Amino acid sequence: MPDNGLLVQMILGALLGLSVYLPMAAGQLSLATPAFYAVGGTLAALMATHADHQGTISLGAVLWEMVVAGALTAALAALVGLPVLRLRGIYLAIATIALVEIVRVAILNLPFTGGATGIFGIPQPFGQPLGYIGLSGGLLALAGWGCQRLEGSRLGRAMAAIRDDELATRCMGINTTRVKLTAFVASAALAGVTGVIAAHYLNTWNARQGSFDVAITTLAFVILGGSRSWLGPVIGGLLLTALPELLRPVGDLRLVLFGLVILLGPVFFPQGLITPELLERLGRWDLRRLKP
Amino acid sequence: MLRRGGLSGGPSDLLSARRRGSVRLAAAVAAAITALAVLGRSSDPASKPLPASVTVGAAIALTGNANLYGQDQRMGLALAQQWLSSTAQPRPMRLQLEDGASDEPSAIAAFNLLIRRGVIALIGPTLSQQAFAADPIAQRQGVPVVAPSNTAQGIPQIGSFISRVSAQSSVIAPLSLDEALERDPEISRVAVFFAQDDAYSTAETAIFQKALAQRGLTPVSVQRTQLADNDFQNPITAALQQKPQLVVISAQAVDGGNLIRQLRELGYRGQIVVGNGLNTPNIYPICQRWCDGVLIAQAYSPDLNTPINQTFRRLFQEANGNSTPGQITAQAWTAYQVLFEALQRLQERGGLDGVTLGEARRRLMQELLAGTYDTPLGPIHFRPDGEVVQGRFYVAVVTMEANGRDGRFRLVRSIDVNTAAGGPTP
Repeated sequence: MPDNGLLVQMILGALLGLSVYLPMAAGQLSLATPAFYAVGGTLAALMATHADHQGTISLGAVLWEMVVAGALTAALAALVGLPVLRLRGIYLAIATIALVEIVRVAILNLPFTGGATGIFGIPQPFGQPLGYIGLSGGLLALAGWGCQRLEGSRLGRAMAAIRDDELATRCMGINTTRVKLTAFVASAALAGVTGVIAAHYLNTWNARQGSFDVAITTLAFVILGGSRSWLGPVIGGLLLTALPELLRPVGDLRLVLFGLVILLGPVFFPQGLITPELLERLGRWDLRRLKP
Repeated sequence: MLRRGGLSGGPSDLLSARRRGSVRLAAAVAAAITALAVLGRSSDPASKPLPASVTVGAAIALTGNANLYGQDQRMGLALAQQWLSSTAQPRPMRLQLEDGASDEPSAIAAFNLLIRRGVIALIGPTLSQQAFAADPIAQRQGVPVVAPSNTAQGIPQIGSFISRVSAQSSVIAPLSLDEALERDPEISRVAVFFAQDDAYSTAETAIFQKALAQRGLTPVSVQRTQLADNDFQNPITAALQQKPQLVVISAQAVDGGNLIRQLRELGYRGQIVVGNGLNTPNIYPICQRWCDGVLIAQAYSPDLNTPINQTFRRLFQEANGNSTPGQITAQAWTAYQVLFEALQRLQERGGLDGVTLGEARRRLMQELLAGTYDTPLGPIHFRPDGEVVQGRFYVAVVTMEANGRDGRFRLVRSIDVNTAAGGPTP
C-alpha cells in the first residue's frame, strides 16, 4: 500500500499530467510544463526562504505563493505563447523544449537561485504528508472540476474543434489563436501552482526539478493515461508515479518492469487507458442494469 | 452545437454518457485517494516498543546517474554487516537496503518507506542534493541519519538527528594541489573544468579556485560542462589554447572520467588534479589507461596500516578478486560500523530496555555522537552538531595496470589535519 508521502507525489504527478493535457486538448503538443513548474517552485522557494519562517510557514502564506506563482506563470505563458503557438506539431514541441532549457539554464545561473545546489531549507506548512494530500488533492479536484466543465463549454468545444481541424475551425469564425493561448496559459498556471506545493514538499529546489526529463515523464503520463479525456492524464500521472515505488519488492528488476510498462502501454492501449468509449460504457453501466 | 436530448443513441446521448462516466470515474479516483490517505495516516511505529532485533535502513543510489557510487556503498555496507555479524551482539542489528535512486523524490520515498517499516536509524542518501530533501523528513520524525557520502556544506546542520562520516572537502581538496605544485613548482598556467549543473562540482570548484588563488595562481581558463555531457571537445580545445600546465577537474565519475580521457586524447600531457566525484575505482573502466597519473585527495587510503583497515581490505579482496577498495566503500562501511557500535554500547548499558522505538532512536543518536570509533578511515568522532572529526587525509595518484582496465589509488602522502569540517561530496 502506498504511504502518504508517495500519495503526495502521485497527486503532483497527476497535476503535471493535466498541465500537459490542457494544450493537447487544443491540439498543441507543448512540452513547456517543466519550465512553468520550475518557475513556480523557484518562486515559492525564494519567497519562503527570504522571510524568517524558522522551519514552518503558515498555510495562508503558501496559498499566497500559489496565487503569485499562478499569476506569474500565466503572464509568462501569455508572453511567450503568442509567438510560440504560431508553430505546430513537432516544431511547437521543439520550441517548448527550448523554453524548458532556457528556464533551466537561467535558474542555474541567476545570482539568487543558489546555482546548482539550489535553495534548501524551505519551510513546511504541514508536519505530516496528510496536509500535503489535502492541499494538492484539493487543487487536483479543482483542476478536474474545471476540466470537466470545460469539456461542455464553448471554449472546450472550440479546443476540441482545433484539435480535429484547425483550419476548418478558423473558417467557422473561431479565434483559434486566442483559444490556443488560453489553454497554454491555463496549463502554465497549473504547472506553476503545482511547483509551489512541490517545492515545500521536497524541502529543497534546484534547476534539476524542471529539466527535459520531466517533460518526457509528464508526456508519458498523458500517453499512457490517454489524451482524449482529462481523466486520462490524471490516472496516467497517478499510476506512473506510483509504479516504481510499488515495484520495490522486485528489487533490481523494478526499473526494467517500469520500462516494459511504458513500452507496452501504448502497444496494448494505443489511445491510452482512459478512452471516450470507456467513459461512455461507464456512464451507461447502471442504466442497462436498472432499466433492462 | 450539440444539446441535451434528441434521439436515443445519438451524439448528445453519447456525450451525456461520457460525462456521467467521467464523473463516476473521478469520484472513484477521489474515493480511492481519500481511503489510501486515511489508511496511511496512522502507521508511525515510533510509539511501539523496541523489537528484540533492530533494523537499520540504507537508502542509497542503486539507479540513476549516481549509481556508480551506490554500488560502492552497497559493497561497503555488505562487508561491514558480514564482519560485524560475527562479533558478539547483545542486540542483533539487521540491514535493510532500499534504492534511493539519484533524485530528490526517490530519496524522500525511500526514507519514508524505511521509517514506516520501523528502522532505528538511516544510512544515506548518496547525493548531498538528495540529503537536503530527505534528511528533514527523518529529522521531523526523530530518526538518526548517518550520511556516508554527503560532503556539501550544511548537511549536519539540517538538524539534531543528522550526522555524517564523510568529511567536507574544503580541507581535503587543496591537498592534491599542493602535491601537484610540489612535483612541478614551475606551474603558473592552470585550467579549471567543472560540471556547472551539479551541486557538488560547483561547490568543490569554488574551493579549488580559492585554493589556487591562495597559492598565487589565477586560472587561465575556466570551462563549464554539464553532467550529461559526453563530448568535451569544445571546452578542451578552448582550454588547451591557453597552454595550461595543470588541469583541475570537479565533476562526477562518468563525465569526469570521459573528460580526462578526451583531454589526454586531444594531446594534454600535463598534470591533472581531480575532486571527490572521481574518488571511485569505477572511473578505471571509463578513462582506462588515460587515468594514469591523476592526482586526488582522499579521506581514505587502502594503504592505512591498522588492523581494522587490513580486515576491511581483506574482506573486500575476498569479494572482489584482487582489487582495492575506494573511499566511498570505506565510508559506507564506517557509517554501518558507527551505528552498530553505538547500538551495542547503548544496549550493554541497559539504555534500550523497555523503551519505545522513538525513544530508542533518540538515545541512539546521543550515543552515536558521544563515542569514538576506530574505522577504516582511521580514528573518528563527531562534533555535537553531527559533523565528523577525522585527523588524517591522503593524496593518491591513480596507477593503471598495463591492460588499461584495472588500476589503484596509490598513496603518495598522508597529511594530519586537526579538524575536518564541511565541503561538497558527490
